[in-house]
Amino acid sequence: MKQTSRRNFLRGAGGALMSLPWLESVSGATSAPAKRLAIYYVPIGVVRRGFFPGEGEATIPKFTSSQEEIKVDVAIKPGEHAFPSTPTLDRLKPVQDKVTLVTGMNRFYQNGTDVHAQCGSCFLSSALPNTITTSAYPLDRTFDHIVGDEIGSVTPFRTLELSCNSHKDNLESIYFDNISWFGTGHVAPSLRDPRKVYRRLFGTKEIQAYRNITDLVLEDAKSLQRGLTYTDQQKFGEYFDSIRTIEQQMDKLDDMKGELSRVKIEEPPESYLPRGEYIRLMGDLMISALQTGLTRVATLMVGPERWNTPFTFEGVFDDPRSHHVMSHNQDKFVDDLIKLDQFHMDQYVYLVDRMASLEEADGSTLLDNTIFTYGSGLGDGATHQYSDLPIVVSGRSGGTLRGGGRWIHCREGEPLANLWLTQARALGIEMKSFADSTGTLPALLA
Amino acid sequence: MIRLGNLFTVAISGAICVSASVSADFDALLSPVFQEHCVRCHGENGKVKGKVDLTKIDSVDHLVGDSNFLEALLEVIEFEEMPPEDEPPLPIEVREALVGHLDSLLDTSLASVTEYPSTPIRRLNRFQYNNAVQDLFDLNVEVFSLPERMCREHADYFQPESGKMPEVVQVGSRPLGKSQLIEKRLGGVAAFPQDLRAEHGFDNRGDHLTLSPILMESFLRLGKSIVESHDFNEKTSGVWKVYFSEPGEGAEIEAVVRPRMERFLTHAFRKPVEQDTIDRYSSYVLTMMDEGESLSSSMKEAMAAALASPRFLYLFDSAAAEPGLASVDDYELASRLSFFLWGSIPDQRLLNLARKGRLKEPETLRQEVDRMLRDEKLKRFCDSFPAQWLQLERIITSTPDRETYPDFYFAKYRTSMHMMLEPLLVFETLLIENQSIIKLIDCDFSYRSNRLRRWYGEEIESQKNEVTRVEFQRVPVTDRRQGGVITNAAVMTMTSGAKRTHPITRGAWILTAIFNDPPEPPPADVPPLKEDGLDVDKMTLRERFAAHREQASCAGCHEKIDPLGFALENFGPAGEWREVYENGREVDSSGALFRRHEFTDVVEFKDAILEEKERFVRAFASHLLSFALGRELEAVDAPALDKISETVKDDDYRFHSLIHGIVSSDPFLQKYTVSETQAVAAQ
Repeated sequence: MKQTSRRNFLRGAGGALMSLPWLESVSGATSAPAKRLAIYYVPIGVVRRGFFPGEGEATIPKFTSSQEEIKVDVAIKPGEHAFPSTPTLDRLKPVQDKVTLVTGMNRFYQNGTDVHAQCGSCFLSSALPNTITTSAYPLDRTFDHIVGDEIGSVTPFRTLELSCNSHKDNLESIYFDNISWFGTGHVAPSLRDPRKVYRRLFGTKEIQAYRNITDLVLEDAKSLQRGLTYTDQQKFGEYFDSIRTIEQQMDKLDDMKGELSRVKIEEPPESYLPRGEYIRLMGDLMISALQTGLTRVATLMVGPERWNTPFTFEGVFDDPRSHHVMSHNQDKFVDDLIKLDQFHMDQYVYLVDRMASLEEADGSTLLDNTIFTYGSGLGDGATHQYSDLPIVVSGRSGGTLRGGGRWIHCREGEPLANLWLTQARALGIEMKSFADSTGTLPALLA
Repeated sequence: MIRLGNLFTVAISGAICVSASVSADFDALLSPVFQEHCVRCHGENGKVKGKVDLTKIDSVDHLVGDSNFLEALLEVIEFEEMPPEDEPPLPIEVREALVGHLDSLLDTSLASVTEYPSTPIRRLNRFQYNNAVQDLFDLNVEVFSLPERMCREHADYFQPESGKMPEVVQVGSRPLGKSQLIEKRLGGVAAFPQDLRAEHGFDNRGDHLTLSPILMESFLRLGKSIVESHDFNEKTSGVWKVYFSEPGEGAEIEAVVRPRMERFLTHAFRKPVEQDTIDRYSSYVLTMMDEGESLSSSMKEAMAAALASPRFLYLFDSAAAEPGLASVDDYELASRLSFFLWGSIPDQRLLNLARKGRLKEPETLRQEVDRMLRDEKLKRFCDSFPAQWLQLERIITSTPDRETYPDFYFAKYRTSMHMMLEPLLVFETLLIENQSIIKLIDCDFSYRSNRLRRWYGEEIESQKNEVTRVEFQRVPVTDRRQGGVITNAAVMTMTSGAKRTHPITRGAWILTAIFNDPPEPPPADVPPLKEDGLDVDKMTLRERFAAHREQASCAGCHEKIDPLGFALENFGPAGEWREVYENGREVDSSGALFRRHEFTDVVEFKDAILEEKERFVRAFASHLLSFALGRELEAVDAPALDKISETVKDDDYRFHSLIHGIVSSDPFLQKYTVSETQAVAAQ
């Protein structure tokens, strides 16, 4: 294991925190830095009593998939409150002034699919119930891709999907393993190997060799498409889309070649990394891509849903643990699960802090121009509830979002889609509604 | 698994003609039964268990036209799953009358079906890609490592043409948790990620295989890295000379390039290639040569492009001239056959027969399937279907308690790497030797390594080299507690936790693998389990679960799942035989299969399954048909499954008759072209 590489990647020779150039050709060397969007998805929910204010003494839920909420006597008024203190939220202390806690957001559970599969795959979608007839999932083009369509078309990578799923076994289907989707049934697969991420982002050479080939195969694609059934023609659009995306990517990377060659980043190790290092490294790569303008939209899934295989959480537990198995025995593992929630929160804090330390061309920070959301598709890992999801928002989106240090509790039944709609507006995207949204969260907006 | 129809989205077709008598039967028979026995849980007062709301069905028209739902309804009534145990049962004569009525409704419904399922266009999965490239270039090395191949062949034990599995086989196992994949392969070629299995399905499912820019980049890079690998040469490729030999003195280059390109593209694209396509690829080669490149490197470049062409990368059926059902064409049939049995593209012989239009002749088809079953490429079928069918991947992550099972761990390895090979070798043997598929349940032989024999209780020393290459020996199984794909160490271990067995996991596994009737995930209205006041440490697992099953909302599913799992309670968390639990309580494995076949121990449990062997055969056939088609099955496939099952039964359940049955079934030989109107309506 090469322990040093990640650090080298972050720091220049002198050990100083390295700042990557905002690449001029992308920004068009004009005015304000671009607005960006990043998502940090935590699987398998959290432990409510460790996360949510006022629930510290709530009953520990037993193994159930009832989605029945834990009954607590905390009547929280909708609106703004002082930032609360709970074992998990206390980890946000170092960046508390930069983050806003949002509680009381819900997703609608549509019957017919596994709770874990749907909570992850539809976290960024939440299509109106029963509007998707070709799938049991209420799954439509996900929020990150819709945002990418709007603000990502000038960057080489319209979106970037990353995941810290290092499982080697083929245990679960794609629905447990992806939060980003081009559309119903059409997954936007994520990269898991830091080295592959690095090569994709900063290894500009190899892809140039494919220009001639793409011309040749596109002819085949056109003739093939003519002979297909109507439904197959629709699905086969994925081939043209992919080739077109790659070609545009080649063009834009070509434009950025000069600048990219000035970026001195060491290739990260492919070898096994301790889990915390792994999440931080993938997060660092995500931040580099956002910072340099290689992309403006990125998602990071810190682990897959369900997937019973244990991971080694270095520094948290001595033996390999399965997050999912523990979540089904909360009465036994409640303390360990809270440790795990804290561990995932610590990595988020690290990344928020990183973003806040990176200066942009106009003197603002990367975080100032980004919306970076922590969230999970389950309100609790044991109850499997889709209600009252744990959400933390950081970043100012170029000043369109209000500052942090606050706690916003939503109105009864506020759909998660309202958060995404609010973020779309903050990013300057004119969007009337998103999925099952009913409005925005004005308290978040500046 | 047959997909359950969605009562609320199915359009009621006015075209279906329901006779007055059928309608009267509904009013006289079905409707009162629903009212009396069913609606209390299925629809009344907003209570809709299992997503089935029978109050929505107020006339026979609501049933006819939803074959999937009818099939499901028929099944739960025929097999006495409903009403559940603690509800008043249906009188036998009512049950029989209902079954008869529903059967005729299903027939009416199926006869009036106008829409059929079809497998969507889909890219090759990783396994198929590897095999296809290997066959295209006749490579004697792997293209890239495939950890999904669990049972690695050494010393050529896999000889299907002999019709006999050797007594002793040398097998390599995918060492657990390590990617120690020692095999000859093309250097410098990096695979794309493994394709995940669909829930209750396989990794070749059309609706799960999609393309993204990232994957397309991989394909572009892959094709190039394959032809440019330094291991891609005359020693590794059997067709090297055919494609890359230098032309003779004075030969006209174009006349050399074109036929080579035509041959390559025809094989890669699995059908005849139009002149302008050959022109396009040939002129690409010629242009490169004009620019000074050699013939071989120019050819390679064009071949790399062909490997990224959708005509290579995608599996699909062309649209028929008219919407509706049609026979697949000969080339499509050739591909269906080869991807089913060889996980790869057709060989020249299949393509030749397709060109002559002969492949669909029943006799030719039969001979070809027999030939394919005798070809060594059949190993690919054995490397993909059985492990996924049995979900053997799960054993990779099984870690029985180290203190209780110290022998499970040796060096850096685990005994499970031996365990997982046992059911796979039994499967391969039954297939190669064309034995009865009933032996999958109850088998009189097995293949075991010394380590495994010791695990099963024999006093024998382990072999020395137990990691990369292990010797497995055919052993007779006289103890019927063992033998077959259920009661083996692998399945028993992978369905257990580290310290205790998981009867529900085991029951669910049996329902899924053996009866292809996977239980629904726990529903959304399960209240938390109450264990207050119970001394759980002193209870047996069964007693603890019984407490849970007292809750009516759980009983419906669990009385179906649990007996199957408890039947196996004599097998501990690592598959070892036990008579008592750690707390001294005796293991009780008695129960009843499907509420009809009582058993007191695991041998009787096997007998009970054998009593239901028709059900197993049909379930196994449906797994296989789903794999062969790359899609979920639907109720319209039911007649085909019935026919296949009959054929198999008539031939003493021989494995090959099942394969022949699949291949000659309507779903395998037909394709469905959806009309644009239907397709738009469906969206």
